[in-house]
Amino acid sequence: MLDPHPIEWQAGPIPAAAGIGLRFPHHERVTGTRPVVPWFEVHAENYFGGGSVRRILETVRRDYPLSLHGVGLSLGSAEGLDPAHLARLAALASALEPGLVSEHLSWSVVGGSYLADLLPLPLTEESLDVVCRHVEQAQQALGRTILIENPSTYLQLPHETIPEWEFLAALAARTGCGLLCDVNNIVVSAANHGWDALAYLAALPAGAVGEIHLAGHALRSLPNGRTLRIDDHGSRVSAEVWTLYEQALQRFGARPTLIEWDTDIPAFDVLCEQAAQAQCRLDGLPGASHVRAASHVRAASHVRAA
Amino acid sequence: MSALLEFQRTMRRAIAGPEVLRPEDVRDWLGDDTEAAWRLAVYRDTARSALGNALALSYPAVRRLVGADFFDGAAQEFIGAQLPESGCLNDYGAEFAGFLGTFVDRFAPSAPLRYLADVARLEWAVNQALHAPDRPGLDLSRLGALDAAAMAALRLIPHPSISLLALDFPADLIWRAVLDHDDAAMSAIDLRRAPVWLLVERTSQSVRVQRLEESAARFTQRLFAGEPLQAALEPEAAGAQQAVLAEHLSCGRIVDFHADPIHEDPCHE
Repeated sequence: MLDPHPIEWQAGPIPAAAGIGLRFPHHERVTGTRPVVPWFEVHAENYFGGGSVRRILETVRRDYPLSLHGVGLSLGSAEGLDPAHLARLAALASALEPGLVSEHLSWSVVGGSYLADLLPLPLTEESLDVVCRHVEQAQQALGRTILIENPSTYLQLPHETIPEWEFLAALAARTGCGLLCDVNNIVVSAANHGWDALAYLAALPAGAVGEIHLAGHALRSLPNGRTLRIDDHGSRVSAEVWTLYEQALQRFGARPTLIEWDTDIPAFDVLCEQAAQAQCRLDGLPGASHVRAASHVRAASHVRAA
Repeated sequence: MSALLEFQRTMRRAIAGPEVLRPEDVRDWLGDDTEAAWRLAVYRDTARSALGNALALSYPAVRRLVGADFFDGAAQEFIGAQLPESGCLNDYGAEFAGFLGTFVDRFAPSAPLRYLADVARLEWAVNQALHAPDRPGLDLSRLGALDAAAMAALRLIPHPSISLLALDFPADLIWRAVLDHDDAAMSAIDLRRAPVWLLVERTSQSVRVQRLEESAARFTQRLFAGEPLQAALEPEAAGAQQAVLAEHLSCGRIVDFHADPIHEDPCHE
């Protein structure tokens, strides 16, 4: 099992500022130059092992607030959670004491096989019971509440009885979990299914929203000429997503906001530029000067420590 | 069966099945909606692409040796036969090396790639060395505290990052030359069958692949398989074998031991 870590974590909770999803191509840049970034988020499963990759994450954790974002727990699996996977996630969280831990409203495991995608869940009472049970199990194992992210979906399933926004609100109410509002996912799913994105935002319980995700998406033409939005995290945040983000901030107030980019990962400076655009919008909120001053103090302390 | 489980089994077939499901295949489920079948196929593409990328990351030298198209064809067939058993993709692909051997025999039997499966085995060992959990090396004072009966029963547990490979071809030389894009080194390799023993392990900064002499390798193999130390040591080679053992201990390759004469499972905790 993992050793108790000897490192004292300097960085505290996740600030209501614009952070960056840290991916492997930028490990060296971040640990080598300690750029001024208010916080980082990583995909938990990429750090389940040990060795130099784990050392890098510990270094990042020492210098920055860190959020763990799980992609493989499969909270919507009808057959139950994989206890080994949950134990590995809990061990990582216990060792790193991240500011936030999050997962998805989706599933990816059936019959003991992992299908390597965040698959859509039929939104029914049965699924709500399953997901509530698994979120409670995860929260128990982790000893903390987690955030659950709204998915991007391409297929609306027949026999669904609960709108996605109501499903998420019920999940938060029943389990005490928070919500991770992925604004790009709302834009993608709303366009794919003909939903009203603003009505979706309005239906989420503002007090439960603990984080916001932003990313780019792609367009794909179907054989009948219709266009499907694909959540590929492979480009800059679109104008439409920025607009809905502004509306999300109006509704929820300042929240930790993350720039995600997973396909054709660009130079780190591009991610910083995207985060700066999000930070501008956070700074534009009433009463934002206090938050801004606090994040500058944090940034200055990083520079001094380096 | 629950409706949710039935749906999830259908999705598995849609993603891992040999063919894209057609509208008529999913009519009972999605209704008379051709567009829904196209939308369903997006999930197949995404999942298979993620799994193909995971294999490409674990087997970069194999991919260069056979070319991207051949590799992707093999990967997609493998995905249909063998899905991951864990939600952590670093664990995926252990069986790809063996699969690749049969795939090459079927589709390129005359190709001079008999060494390909050995390179794949080495790449999987490197992948394991990269992603294995951390374990501190054995505190040697614990060995000193054992009595004679415990020493007689002593079985050693190797670090989880370690693999010992017995290969038919010089896969280490091929692997390095391919990843370094070193055509001169590649053309200098004698590709005839020539068995090698390789010890693959994680070091503080990277992964080390080193050759072992056959006698040292066979002794190491018996130790790492959980054979009692006393049984593995051969009187006529004890000096050399003790030197091998000392190196394993000083390099942190041993993380724990069983000293109980009762038979136990020597697997890692």
